[in-house]
Amino acid sequence: MFVILVYDTAVERNPKVLKTCRQYLHWTQRSVFQGELSTAQYRALLHTLETVIDADYDSIVTYTARSPIMMETNTLGVALGGPGDIL
Amino acid sequence: MPAAGRTYWLTEPCRIRREDNSIRIERPDGSPVHIPITDIRDLIAFDHIDINTSALSLLSQNGITLHVLDHYGNHAGHFTPAQSMASATVVRRQVDITANPQQRLTISRSIVLATADNLRWSLDTDLLDPALDQLRTALPQCDSNDALMGQEGNLRRTAWAVLDTQLPPWLRLNGRTRRPPTNAGNAFISYLNSLVYARVLTALRSTPLHPAIGFLHSDTDRRRNTLALDLAEPFKPLFAERLLKRAAAQKHLKETDFETDVGRAALSRNGRKKIAALVKEELATTVYHRTLKRQVSYEELIHLEALKIVRLCLEEKTYKPFRPWW
Repeated sequence: MFVILVYDTAVERNPKVLKTCRQYLHWTQRSVFQGELSTAQYRALLHTLETVIDADYDSIVTYTARSPIMMETNTLGVALGGPGDIL
Repeated sequence: MPAAGRTYWLTEPCRIRREDNSIRIERPDGSPVHIPITDIRDLIAFDHIDINTSALSLLSQNGITLHVLDHYGNHAGHFTPAQSMASATVVRRQVDITANPQQRLTISRSIVLATADNLRWSLDTDLLDPALDQLRTALPQCDSNDALMGQEGNLRRTAWAVLDTQLPPWLRLNGRTRRPPTNAGNAFISYLNSLVYARVLTALRSTPLHPAIGFLHSDTDRRRNTLALDLAEPFKPLFAERLLKRAAAQKHLKETDFETDVGRAALSRNGRKKIAALVKEELATTVYHRTLKRQVSYEELIHLEALKIVRLCLEEKTYKPFRPWW
């Protein structure tokens, strides 16, 4: 599935969340990640994040779609994300 | 085939580092790129890379293969994680089958014939038919692998001559040369063949098969992965010859994409990028599989080919080499 993940967490927990997300998803913008995951990977990611955040204060939202084909994206201004898979 | 993960093509010199249990790729220009470790199926290095043990051990933990191509597009080697799919039953059967000269010869013959048919299919011309008929009559008489490969060599020579008639002068092969390739066309074929070989090796890693125990290529003279060479054969026309034809027809490749010297040629940095994009797109192309009743990509076809050998070992199912049916 195609996942977009946005997080809004307290400053001291930001690095932890960032590092966890980096293992599974591509960085698109400050506090926004996206990428393709299997269901198992998705659940593993959410589970790890759950243990990292403070459920009373932090907020993480994910948007999922069946595949990136279902997603139409426009970028205004600087494209901060990576250059794809031909480096 | 591993469900998740992509192939990453490293066409520029870069440094691979481990960061946050994931991979960071540093390039001389531009900021570092973070790649999620779960998104990598394998890495293909076209250019100089710099990697350390902690990054390698992370790759190993996640079952990622790193292929290294040298300047002229030869497959220089690969780093694979410790064998995790190992199965004694399959390997034992594989050894049995390849040790039986009769069985081995039958399979080799079918591989040669399939490769020839695929060549005919990819060149799409009647000019190759006489040579193909000749091969068909000669094959049953061949009683050794060397004889089979000799016949295949004859057909290949004719096929390359025929291919030359479909190419612009600067891209013509004028006889196949390797190590190093002498002209642009040969350099292109070398790169593509190595890439196909690398894809087959990656596919074999997801099965318990031993890549060194093969059928057609001789496995005694040199240490190599003969099974990967065998399985790559029928796919080479699908990628190498066909993409060369297409790139020439669409004027996609320019003379400046190659670094041509006297007696040697290699792809330039820009050329490597173009080829990586070309192959990447080609691997993702899908066709309808008639027995699986669903769309499969070319990449997956290679994986299915490896599974056919597993079924040959475990279920005695006759191995029918890949032929394009579309």
